[in-house]
Amino acid sequence: MAEKLTPFHITILVYMTQSGIIIFTLPRQLAEYFGTNGWLFMVPCFVISSLNIYLISLVYHMGKGRSIFLILEQSISKVVLYPLYIGLSSVWLIFGCMIGKKYVLLFQMISFPTTNPMIFKLAIDLLALLLLTKGIYTISKATTVFFWVTIWMYLLLLGFIPNFQWVRLTPFIFKEGHDMVRGGLDIYTAFLGYELSLLYLPYMDHKKKSMRGVYAGNTILSVAYISFAFICFGFFSLGQLKKLLYPLLDLLAFIQLPFVERLENLLYGFFLFLILVTVVMYWWAAAESVQRILPRANISILCSILVGISFVVSYIPTTLDQVNTWIMYLSYAATGIAFGLPLLLVVLLLVQRKRRNSYA
Amino acid sequence: MGRDQKTTPSLQHILQQFDQCADLSRRNFPEIRVDIVYFPHLVSSKLLTDEILEPFARPQGDKIEQLLEQSQFVFQADVKKVVVGILGGSVAIFHMDQVYMLDAYGPETRSLVQSETETIITGPHDSFVESASTNLSLIRRRIKSSHLKVIRCSVGEISKTDVYILYIKGIANLEYVEELQKRIQRIEIDAINEGAMLSQFIEDNPNSVFPQFLTTERPDAAESKLEGGKIITIIDNSPTAISAPASFFEFFSSPDDYYQRWALGTALRLLRYSALLITIIFTAMYVSITTYHYEMIPEALLRTLAESRTRVPFPPVYEALLMETMIELLREAGARLPTKIGQTIGIVGGIVIGQAAVQAGLTSNILIIAVASSAIASFVIPSYMMSASIRLVRFGLIILAGIWGNMGLSMGVALLIIHLSSLTSLGSSYLSPVAPMKGTDWKDVFIRAPFALLKTRPSQTRTPNTIRQKMRK
Repeated sequence: MAEKLTPFHITILVYMTQSGIIIFTLPRQLAEYFGTNGWLFMVPCFVISSLNIYLISLVYHMGKGRSIFLILEQSISKVVLYPLYIGLSSVWLIFGCMIGKKYVLLFQMISFPTTNPMIFKLAIDLLALLLLTKGIYTISKATTVFFWVTIWMYLLLLGFIPNFQWVRLTPFIFKEGHDMVRGGLDIYTAFLGYELSLLYLPYMDHKKKSMRGVYAGNTILSVAYISFAFICFGFFSLGQLKKLLYPLLDLLAFIQLPFVERLENLLYGFFLFLILVTVVMYWWAAAESVQRILPRANISILCSILVGISFVVSYIPTTLDQVNTWIMYLSYAATGIAFGLPLLLVVLLLVQRKRRNSYA
Repeated sequence: MGRDQKTTPSLQHILQQFDQCADLSRRNFPEIRVDIVYFPHLVSSKLLTDEILEPFARPQGDKIEQLLEQSQFVFQADVKKVVVGILGGSVAIFHMDQVYMLDAYGPETRSLVQSETETIITGPHDSFVESASTNLSLIRRRIKSSHLKVIRCSVGEISKTDVYILYIKGIANLEYVEELQKRIQRIEIDAINEGAMLSQFIEDNPNSVFPQFLTTERPDAAESKLEGGKIITIIDNSPTAISAPASFFEFFSSPDDYYQRWALGTALRLLRYSALLITIIFTAMYVSITTYHYEMIPEALLRTLAESRTRVPFPPVYEALLMETMIELLREAGARLPTKIGQTIGIVGGIVIGQAAVQAGLTSNILIIAVASSAIASFVIPSYMMSASIRLVRFGLIILAGIWGNMGLSMGVALLIIHLSSLTSLGSSYLSPVAPMKGTDWKDVFIRAPFALLKTRPSQTRTPNTIRQKMRK
């Protein structure tokens, strides 16, 4: 029996791909760019990402669940498409790689300042490769377990409610911010990951309402981000939030149990599961694109080569600042892909439909 | 005389086959020109007396032909089958030029006793023994239904061990039955000695540290698996039955859970999952915290921990590995030795580990607590196979925690999850019902909900008959 991705697994995959490294800095970025009640900016982000998912669902319905590669290849010559595939896979591959590198550098900063971060990077890449070569169904199964292992952490937010003060939210909206357009773009990247659902289309169970899974995943993420940002704005003052480099770590460090404290050391490890899924999904998307160019290539060898390339590339940026710059530009490109690719596909599908009607 | 000459070649041939088999018995009834050949230790002496010795001892002329026409005597012309039959506990009866077989299989077997590996507090105490027919009877007497089907196969070029595949027609998925049968028939080996050994030949991933089929010695467990839509495999000469397909979470339930009140059953299940966590990460956490993350210890506890470690000259990872190895040595020694000496080992080990190692400055007190808790927790897991696998995995996590602290621990857990996700049992997900997610099954996996709520069979079995209970209240 051929396995299919059920709406539930799509929900989990989308949510887990979306939740990534940005959560460490999100409240600070919101405070910096949007000032007071910056958390409210997450609401328009949610609406925009939902509209983007609507575009993807149009591709799904108009293309009747066909793979996006089939839709593209039906209308555009391979000479044009191959560079596009290479472009897509490059962005996705290096984006995934930089997310991994940022996580490693953060971890190195917290716990192992003297160790070469590339050793950690190698270990994480090998883990990701192991999962990558197992295929999308095993990835989805592992992701479901990772989801249950990590989702409980949002319950920790309840522990901050006694220290939450409404007065810290202030009655003002978006005051003391700056550069909101750039900030908006930067923060929107926190929602990226849903665009990979374009590639799930052939693996979805067409008998079920699979696209709802994508909406649900995005909604879970939005609720999680909004509640997290909201708690942060009521827990820290605006000035404090602007100064904290990684507010999430400070928030976690606040938790004290009778037998253990400074929980951020332990909980940071749990974020590995979220990062791993994000990295694996972007690499999986990259591998899917390259496979269209090399359909006969052995998938394990192909994945190993891609991961090898990304590992070499990850040597280039050495500091957190450099990695942040790479991530910023790559996330702009990924946002462009998130909107541009489904738009292109919808146009192609309209043309194909028109052509079919004129032949009939 | 002529008749004797006719039967002799066939008899000679069989005797030649069993040349130098001193345990073969041959008896002769010259008055009725009958020879019988059998292994006395394989046949039931009562059956032999009632069916052969007594009737054949009173010669009644040519009535012997009429006697041999009775249905229990099966005519056999194939010499190979005669040999196999004798080896399988039949009595070969040579009369004139013809051979008849009487199935008189009934060797001495161990009596039904309580299982030592799967003990329970309430519920039936009988367990499987080494005789497949006894084991089959233990199941048949529990499931009085003609839908309980049994497929017989033979495995082992030399041992020719009988293997029985049991399933309930209409409940079990026949695709799984066919797949299992195919896998068993594909085995090419000289002998299979045990059920757990057979399961390694038919598992989806034989190289994994985790068992992919559940093994049980309890007939009530086998019965409930059958009724849940699973397939049971029984092997002759083994008290271990195999249940397939299996899920990772199935190894954490015990028949006891259903015999106790649901609240207690639920508490026990939750306790076992906590035990899993403790077994896997407790010692590794100790290593991680005392090596890299001292800041995680609250001030009040820090002094005690620091004092306890002041005399220990090794890094925590060596200290932990030393103690874990010691515990494993004790466990293995306790398992191999007779019960009385085993107790001595326990006491000696307890003193060595509990006191002497700390006083000698080899380990810290707190590590002893961590190692002991994690060892005790591992024994809470009802399946010995799973418990042993998890104990082995723990060593890997301790080493990773020793190298990279909490990050190493996280990497180890991630690796474990990735590995478990890639495993399948008879082609179905090993992590069912978590991945793929089947929320309705959770109430009989993580908790033991009241019977009124346990209405469906596990989804992993892909059973055509999902409803197992229709009671409203």
